Amino acid sequence: MADKNLPTDGRFTRLFDHFKREWQIYAMLLPTIVWFIVFLYKPMYGLQIAFKDYSIFRGVAGSPWIGIEHFQTLFGNDQFLRAVSNTIKISALNLLFGFPAPIILALMFNEILHATYKRTAQTIVYLPHFISSVIIAGIVITAFSPTLGIVNIILGWFGLDSIYFLTQPQWFRPIFVGTGIWQEAGFGSIVFLAAIAGVNPSLYESAVVDGANRWQMMWKITIPSILPTILIMLIIRIGNVMEVSFELVILLYQPATYETADVVNTWIYRQGLQSGQYDLAAAGGLFNAVVAFVLVMTANTLSRRFSRTSLW
Amino acid sequence: MSGVNLSGIVKSYGAVQVVHGIDLDVAEKEFVVLVGPSGCGKSTTLRMIAGLEEITAGDLTIDDKRMNRIAPKDRDVAMVFQNYALYPHLNVADNMAFGLRIRKMPKAEIQTTIADVAEILGLTDYLERRPADLSGGQRQRVAMGRAIVRHPKVFLFDEPLSNLDAKLRTQMRAEIKRLHNRLGVTSVYVTHDQVEAMTLADRIVVMNDGRIEQIGTPMELFNDPANIFVAGFLGSPPMNMVNGVLTKNSAKIGATEVKLNGALANHVGREVVVGIRPEHVTLKASAKTSPLPITMDLVEPLGSEALLHARFGKQEMVFKAETKGDIAPLWNVDKVHVTTDLVKLFDAQTGQALNLRG
Amino acid sequence: MQNWNLYARGDKIFAIVVSILIGMFTVATLYPFIYIAAVSFSSGFAAQAGKVVLTPVDATLEAYGYIIKDPQFWISYRNTFIYTIGGTIMSLLFIIPGAYALSRRQLKGRRFFNLFIAFTMWFNAGLIPFFLNMRDLNLLDSMFGIILAFAVNAFNIILLRNFFEAIPQSFEEAARMDGANDFQVLWKVFVPLSKPAIATITLFCIVSRWNGFFWAMVLLQSEEKIPLKVFLRHTISNLSDDDEFAIVQTAAGFSAETVTAAIIVCSIIPVLIVYPFIQKYFEKGILLGGVKE
Repeated sequence: MADKNLPTDGRFTRLFDHFKREWQIYAMLLPTIVWFIVFLYKPMYGLQIAFKDYSIFRGVAGSPWIGIEHFQTLFGNDQFLRAVSNTIKISALNLLFGFPAPIILALMFNEILHATYKRTAQTIVYLPHFISSVIIAGIVITAFSPTLGIVNIILGWFGLDSIYFLTQPQWFRPIFVGTGIWQEAGFGSIVFLAAIAGVNPSLYESAVVDGANRWQMMWKITIPSILPTILIMLIIRIGNVMEVSFELVILLYQPATYETADVVNTWIYRQGLQSGQYDLAAAGGLFNAVVAFVLVMTANTLSRRFSRTSLW
Repeated sequence: MSGVNLSGIVKSYGAVQVVHGIDLDVAEKEFVVLVGPSGCGKSTTLRMIAGLEEITAGDLTIDDKRMNRIAPKDRDVAMVFQNYALYPHLNVADNMAFGLRIRKMPKAEIQTTIADVAEILGLTDYLERRPADLSGGQRQRVAMGRAIVRHPKVFLFDEPLSNLDAKLRTQMRAEIKRLHNRLGVTSVYVTHDQVEAMTLADRIVVMNDGRIEQIGTPMELFNDPANIFVAGFLGSPPMNMVNGVLTKNSAKIGATEVKLNGALANHVGREVVVGIRPEHVTLKASAKTSPLPITMDLVEPLGSEALLHARFGKQEMVFKAETKGDIAPLWNVDKVHVTTDLVKLFDAQTGQALNLRG
Repeated sequence: MQNWNLYARGDKIFAIVVSILIGMFTVATLYPFIYIAAVSFSSGFAAQAGKVVLTPVDATLEAYGYIIKDPQFWISYRNTFIYTIGGTIMSLLFIIPGAYALSRRQLKGRRFFNLFIAFTMWFNAGLIPFFLNMRDLNLLDSMFGIILAFAVNAFNIILLRNFFEAIPQSFEEAARMDGANDFQVLWKVFVPLSKPAIATITLFCIVSRWNGFFWAMVLLQSEEKIPLKVFLRHTISNLSDDDEFAIVQTAAGFSAETVTAAIIVCSIIPVLIVYPFIQKYFEKGILLGGVKE
């Protein structure tokens, strides 16, 4: 044995060896980590302006601390409170109508036998997901226009007066939620279709032998089988209650509909980016982020509990 | 000393030690098989030789060079993986050339090397194919080809045949052996299959629980297992084991005495485990045998011979017997005759083999 | 399992009803696009009068004529391509090596780094600090700023990392014994083996870049830097308020609405062209997206 007497390698020798041998993976990781620090963690440091009297000239670190004054302002601010309430209401409507839509769609796709028909329909209903919200908004604005909009044209066929939908607060939420369903229901069905595809076919075969019809199989086999997926998607949805797609809100709302349309992020956008009240807006953002964080973490914990039986 | 030498090799994951100090010398050109049940540390040991796992303690040398801290690529070893690890996006030739290209071998040389090796392995017609278009046996050959083209000092095999069906496995086993005879490269081969170990090895290393139980040629291990574990692991069906007590010329199992040759006088009353291989019985009594009354449960014909599943008392045992074209008479067998010379004795407490007849 | 000839009568009726419902939903999905296209090819007068329902009325290309004469349309179209291509390449340059490193067992602090990245999916500083940070970095009104600042997101990294982790370890080990270093393992083994996942991520990047609007609107001031979506937004909000335009349009045979519709059509067409090719990837991709922390 040549060098049997060599001592066993020490801890530091091995650590040194490790970095000498594996430096490349650290080099690969570095840009990503730096990017995260610069673009995502540094703004978190900047969140402190929520507790400061921020001025552009003094910068984040130089501005004086003022404690929770902004939060006091915030919770005395009707517009902000309205935005919080609108956010929750729009999310609730989304949950109520937007969540079941892709499940129903997936169940229906599962019943279609004609492969080409099914394929074509799927291709078409997935499409709106890939369309920018600006275009979606453009389509909605055109379609609901009081003069040339197709919706008012149809109302006209029934002898009804034309309505300027987008200026009326009571129409904003139905239009917004409906647009969301139109845009996302198809794409959202993919997850459920995959879950359905994962159901053991022999379950259906034995049901056929037992004399079940398609409707019964849907209720007794398909839906129970995809229930874990439904549950997890639901939990994720609830975790994202604060995330109303505010891009679309900005594009569709106007001062006349703020009453029902203004959500937290659009309020922050106007307050901060349009009016320059950065510190107050950041306080609103921090509130939003903390609530969202708590919701998401709760949702994660819940979904982990169910995830053993799910596709995740 | 050239070849591969392991001395006091230990592997720990955190506080858990999985290999407890392996000492093994593999001579140049030798074919050594590490065999043992899953989780016995054989694969970990192989991967330490390859450099895929760090060695926690101990020394590894290859051709007298200490390898503990040398990167796998600089150890001059090649490995055949259980799942072959053939790159699906490369054809057979490119798969084999992968390592040579990375090592910047000149193009012309790569081509001749691959052509030579493909010739040896019968892959010449398949060089343009992707792994997905090959049969299991062909993939296995490509995996070996990829190791061979590098002309390494040592071949490492990690359960290379376990993904093949039984028939192909037998065929590839023979091919590996022929290849080794032809190339004469030092080889370390890991398997859980004792038949593979017996047929391929110059020497077998039986491992259990992170330790070496016994090292020896296949026949040494079969004839003289060092302990109950080795005795039970090698041989198919496995050796029958039954508790007994020594008398001065026999082992007493329940009411039955199995005669033994040898000087047992000093060991009367010692508790032992009596090991009887299924093939070490006959149906006819002779001077060299001792009868064992059994109750027949099941006769499984294998063709020229049959497996007799029988009970001796409450103990289930398996024996082999010739069929002579008909198994019906075997159902009536109510006793077998144990060849006394071939009975193994183990200490009931330690499990170590007892050699009391020397 | 599903065989028409073996269906009972009730099941046949059920299947037909479902097929009709799906057909209706499909038509409802498609209709707005057809409607917008019809508006874009109609005369401004016919559109204003509410005559356009399914097909162009007083068919004309005036609206398209108007936008193709607008140099800003071409500038922003070009910019969208720059943002999409540049941004996607930038994303892949970060994501592929980053995901590879995070998938390596031998990476020390791997748990920490994974948490470091996943945390940003759960907690986000929000619009204002992000904006102020961009200003501090001098990336306002910068095309490079847009390309860099939206290059990475936790979801894509985790998606690819999960895919890399699922690649049998022996592929890496075999390459390593063959003498490959990490860059070679990544480039010659992992990237070719991960084509579907990388295609999916590329697709996600392209779509989000092509559609990106909000931050481009907030961060970019110069007209020569804005992408098509911001241009479209400007057009929608400007044209209808512009009295001068209202006078010109009637004479010219187009209106704010038909011009808007024409821009919409122009910006959807590239999506429609590539859409059939990408479909197989996003169906797979959404399933890959099962994010484990």
